[in-house]
Amino acid sequence: MMHVDIDWKSLNKYGEELCGDKVEIVHQDDCDILVLSDGLGSGVKANILASLTAKIIVTMLKEGSSVDEAVETIAHTLPICKVRQVAYSTFSILQLYHDGRAYLVEFDNPACIFIRHGQLTDLPYEVREISGKSVRECRFDTAMGDIFALVSDGVIHAGVGAILNLGWQWENVAAFFQDAAQKKLSVPRMVSSIAQVVDNLFMSKPGDDSTMLVAQIVPQKVVSLFSGPPTDKSKDETLVRDWMRGPGKKVVCGGSSANIVSRVLNRQIKTSLKFTDPLIPPTAEIQGVDLVTEGVLTINRTVELLRKWQNRDVRTAVSSIASFDEDNGASKLARLLVEDCTDLHCFIGKAINPAHQNPNLPMDLSIKMHLLNELMDLMKQMGKRVQVTYY
Amino acid sequence: MLNVTICIGSSCYLKGSRDVIAILERLIALHNVGDKVTLVGSFCMGHCTEGVCVKIDDQLFSLSPANTEAFFNKEVLGRL
Repeated sequence: MMHVDIDWKSLNKYGEELCGDKVEIVHQDDCDILVLSDGLGSGVKANILASLTAKIIVTMLKEGSSVDEAVETIAHTLPICKVRQVAYSTFSILQLYHDGRAYLVEFDNPACIFIRHGQLTDLPYEVREISGKSVRECRFDTAMGDIFALVSDGVIHAGVGAILNLGWQWENVAAFFQDAAQKKLSVPRMVSSIAQVVDNLFMSKPGDDSTMLVAQIVPQKVVSLFSGPPTDKSKDETLVRDWMRGPGKKVVCGGSSANIVSRVLNRQIKTSLKFTDPLIPPTAEIQGVDLVTEGVLTINRTVELLRKWQNRDVRTAVSSIASFDEDNGASKLARLLVEDCTDLHCFIGKAINPAHQNPNLPMDLSIKMHLLNELMDLMKQMGKRVQVTYY
Repeated sequence: MLNVTICIGSSCYLKGSRDVIAILERLIALHNVGDKVTLVGSFCMGHCTEGVCVKIDDQLFSLSPANTEAFFNKEVLGRL
């Protein structure tokens, strides 16, 4: 089964509170719809134009309207700019159907960068007119591993007139993606590294709103996560069996949970004493389990890392992804969830650890359930499918 | 070989099992008994209220960084 891995970041024009680019993503039963629009100018006005455009397109397509109808509606709805006497917002729409078909339509945005088998590839565009606007569109079939990068013109123009005379330019941006694809970077890492380059080319003062939206067709990757002993001890075995029977990578978070796994499967836990991070207890190993970590302290840090990656501020997000490579349980879990997981299956026991009710503890350990809920919410926000079973 | 098992579950960890381990490692080096004593980590031993939990054979001890040296001198060196 295929899955579309999608991630994006925006850099606001220097000094602007709002972004004039807008990304909308909708997951439907039969397809995923991605829209990137770039409103005229910057700041509030651009933001309103772009938001209206993206939202109208996505809502109408979702309800079954044609692209023609959506474009016509935009042309008639957008408020007209007093200075320039036009209502204007560019857009790119990419519809990826789960049966392998794809439809792309672009109006005045930089062309979609399409990478297949590690090579930059041309798309069979046709030009036609919709309500007086000349758009490029194409229909094609996707293949596993295909990468689509939609960028706003801020990315293409990064560094213009300062570091680079003509800016970064489409060909160079495309080459950058081709290089990233050949290095087999994950989508989040690709987005993070291009955002960093754009920020650098602008010397941290972007001259225009810059957005990079990347999608890749990837196989389904399931992570089955077990955390927390069941309230009823007799359910221990059921939980572990259900969890082990599930597909994909197996993760257990929590000392008591790991002990249950060890007992039910009759396999030893090998705990390491390697303290790589003073705040995160070490990980352990159980044969057949991909990751064994401590519970609440580790999950707390993982949630922090995911929250940072979701942060709208690109510099915060980039610093979060850099820490995914650190050698501790929380970083390993974050990396697995962000880069190597399309579907998260949680197996959560609701037992309360009496020792954690001790008011002398320096931190509230009873928040684990709350943390797991936040973890699942963050995963959903990243477009991943989440299932949960309580015991 | 003498195995000393230290709990690194959430609760004991917060109560200082990391410091206990660091102190034990230092004492083992100081007394030059690294070939006779092995430190092993363990997830929750189920005695969280008495942490930091440390086990030698099946005997449970309740440690804190403050009494670790006394424990080492009596229970670890005493068994060698």
